[in-house]
Amino acid sequence: MTIRNTLLANLSTSLSGTSVSATSELPFTAGGVTLYNKNMKKLYLDNDQNQRTQLFSTIDNNDVFQQEILVNAYITVDAKNEPSDISNVITKVVNSRFSVANCYVRECEVTNTYADDRLTYNFEFRFLTL
Amino acid sequence: MAYIAVNTTDTFVRLDIKDYSLAANANAAFATTANVLTVPSLQDITVNATPGLFRWQELGFLSEKVVTTPSTNSINTTLVLDDTAFFTGNASTAGIFDLTNNKTQVFFRLYWAGDDSGDKYIQGSGYLSALAPTVSPTAPVWTAPVTIEVVGDYQSGTV
Repeated sequence: MTIRNTLLANLSTSLSGTSVSATSELPFTAGGVTLYNKNMKKLYLDNDQNQRTQLFSTIDNNDVFQQEILVNAYITVDAKNEPSDISNVITKVVNSRFSVANCYVRECEVTNTYADDRLTYNFEFRFLTL
Repeated sequence: MAYIAVNTTDTFVRLDIKDYSLAANANAAFATTANVLTVPSLQDITVNATPGLFRWQELGFLSEKVVTTPSTNSINTTLVLDDTAFFTGNASTAGIFDLTNNKTQVFFRLYWAGDDSGDKYIQGSGYLSALAPTVSPTAPVWTAPVTIEVVGDYQSGTV
């Protein structure tokens, strides 16, 4: 199971009853517009991005590597009229990282970007495992 | 001038140890691979060969005089712990933890850059010490420094 699937399963449940819902669609661009800009108040999760980085270097090639998995998520809302529960939604999205097991680093960074009257929350999840 | 590079498979540094009770001397200890524990996953290694010094000053001389006293020899290394090397060992040579815990004297041989014919090594006997395994949440693999406190002289040789 990919980490995206784990996060999606968690968010589908935890966001129910809020003004934002999770979708299984990928955040692709259609007609020059990203889906999360087109469909506001829907959470889009991108696929896992994997990379192997060196944790310990040894002099006999028995190096220890860690796997770093990045997952981006996006929610766009109306900047003029933000959902009243947006801070609750953001907390739930950030806390969804705890649903991923067997990782020794589970981080989430949230950044905001504005485009016209739209406010996009970009969540960057970062997981490290061996 | 030729650098001693250790960056290829054939030139990796290799540290072998063997229980002192299993051989008469270091040459005999490493004449076969039986009971020889090759310490894997070395992160770094430092060979210390430090003659002791006795200094004194004399009136009428602008600088100190010095004579050597017996050397203090040791090998410091840091390794990523391997379950077999740390706990099990190889046949009659115990693992690194037991060798340290039981204060077992060992023969050691350090190949400077590979173990092919013509490659150089130093060897001797000593005790493992300074074992301090550590692990942390952000580096969740055990690593440990280990020091071989050398008994007597190093002997150098060629494979």
